[in-house]
Amino acid sequence: MGAALVLRYLLRKSLGWLLMIVVATNLTYFVANFFLDPRANYLQLRPPRTPEQISRSLAQYNLSRDTPLLDRWWHWVSGIVLHWDWGYSPVGESVNSQISFRIGVSAQLVMGSLILSTLIGISLAVYTAARQYRFADRFAQGVSIVTLNTPVVVASLAVVLLAIAFNQSVGSTVLFVAGAQSPTVSGFWPLLLDRVRHLILPTISLTVISYAGTHLLQRSLLLDNINSDYVRLARAKGLTRQRAIRRHALRTSLIPVAITVAFAIPALFTGAVITETIFAWQGMGQYFVQTISKNDVHGAVAVAAFGALMTAIGAILADIAVVALDPRVRVS
Amino acid sequence: MTTNLPPLQHTVSPVDSTLSQPLSPAEQRVVRRGERLSRRRLYTRRFLRNRGAVAGLVILILLVLFAVAGPLLTSYSYTDVDFTNLTAAPSSQHWFGTNGVGNDTFAQTVHGLQRSLIIGVVVSLLTTLIAAFVGAVAAYLGGTAEKAILGVVHFLLVVPSFLLLGLISQKAGGDWKVLILVLVMIGWTYGARVVYSLCTSLREREYVQAARFMGVGSLRIVLRHLVPNIGSLLIVSFTLGVVTTVQMETGLSFIGFGVKQPDVSLGSLLGDGANTITSAPWLFYFPATMLTLLTVSMALIGDGLRDALDPMSHSAGRA
Repeated sequence: MGAALVLRYLLRKSLGWLLMIVVATNLTYFVANFFLDPRANYLQLRPPRTPEQISRSLAQYNLSRDTPLLDRWWHWVSGIVLHWDWGYSPVGESVNSQISFRIGVSAQLVMGSLILSTLIGISLAVYTAARQYRFADRFAQGVSIVTLNTPVVVASLAVVLLAIAFNQSVGSTVLFVAGAQSPTVSGFWPLLLDRVRHLILPTISLTVISYAGTHLLQRSLLLDNINSDYVRLARAKGLTRQRAIRRHALRTSLIPVAITVAFAIPALFTGAVITETIFAWQGMGQYFVQTISKNDVHGAVAVAAFGALMTAIGAILADIAVVALDPRVRVS
Repeated sequence: MTTNLPPLQHTVSPVDSTLSQPLSPAEQRVVRRGERLSRRRLYTRRFLRNRGAVAGLVILILLVLFAVAGPLLTSYSYTDVDFTNLTAAPSSQHWFGTNGVGNDTFAQTVHGLQRSLIIGVVVSLLTTLIAAFVGAVAAYLGGTAEKAILGVVHFLLVVPSFLLLGLISQKAGGDWKVLILVLVMIGWTYGARVVYSLCTSLREREYVQAARFMGVGSLRIVLRHLVPNIGSLLIVSFTLGVVTTVQMETGLSFIGFGVKQPDVSLGSLLGDGANTITSAPWLFYFPATMLTLLTVSMALIGDGLRDALDPMSHSAGRA
């Protein structure tokens, strides 16, 4: 029993997911080729290009419609397998460099709000479950229902409005509404401060819409467990009520929450599309919008592959969380 | 815990109407003394006890009335352009102001609300029906059909649905009917998975076995015995599905992949208003308020229905 077995189990799961990712990515390649036509990008250029010229320009990026689709696909696949080269956009930007730069930007945004919203959600749940049906509980629940169901667009724009009002009342731009960093700042500490000032607003708006799900789920799970025998036993042993809830009731009811949070990671990466658009962050979500509106087949497929990879990682993390938290689980 | 006690009631009605076994005359007299409730009245009573749910229902009815009666209140249509009022603040002539092109924001908000409501309701209805049918069929038939359907469902869950949505609706050029089709095609998978898990236990029940041995056809068993038994789940998932769909549609239209000019939805209105949020905030306030009211009221109704329809529920007090 132990690490080797868990490892083998995870390895088998990962292989299954890898297969799914490969199939999904290849399917997206054909779907994207069907729906996106890179020739459209050259049609507005002045002086006008002839179809032959356009085709020749696109051919160097493996996007020309004159090459049969299967040939292009083979070229694309062998590029990825042999050189880890995900291709080029219709105007010749490398997908690899775009993605590697944007993953970092997205990660800053997503990880901060994921950690914050999980912490806030769980601690709010512990606080309110211990005071079921009292004012604090009812109030927090009402607020959570509203924020959970507020559309992302509305929440983010409301945060922007509040920040602008705040900046005006202070008299200087304390919180930046757009971008990930200012271009002119240099030095380690100024740069860090600048980053944080850019990060605050998008993080707040992502946290506001996502903490409530954790809060409501954790609260109802805690309430299911709070009156069970082992919590009463813990009280009888002499633990305070708070301690009994945190040590015993919370531990068992944390498992479904951990699963949900793990599965929320991929949704956060792609779901941050709107937040990134509003706050003008050059992250994965914004790249996704850009690739589709600019007929960038290779970029769109890379985003799809990234999304599928995140789903797989979320699912595997959920498995690990269950094994780590629940001593009853035996992997087989 | 003392706080768990249900509130005091004037009428005592301990009889669950679902237990409709024949009773002796003496028993019936006992039952009559307590009020006997039909199932519908039981659900209605439980629903109405939930203050949030009632508030949600009232808000939703008002929104629907507003969407239906709104066009009658103004002389402008959502495509009309008033060149004398560009980006005008709310006034007696334009109640919600105008945008940069001169469209009346009131007329546009009403139309956008109609669009969002129609898309939300139709998509959620269709996805719930498809999910119920496919999930129940997979669970009932078993064997190869089960494996095939589950394979498709799991695969569609991995495929990045938001990307497919963007690709197809971008190509469709902003037609809301195509948007509905695409949202349905992608939305049914998760529900089908949930229905499937529930039906795997239902299919082993005696009444399903009995129907099968009587020679009732598979389709009929699925439609008459399996699906009605998860009816309450379906009703709740329909209401919450409206919230999800409206959010999805808003997001797509906001980034420009959903409903497009000249048609408007609340999402595309927000997309237009976002750029002028400091200079013309009314372009943001009104659509945003409508949208938030719509999603929050639907969510409150869904929660209320879940408590009212759940036979195990204690949160709505006793029947």
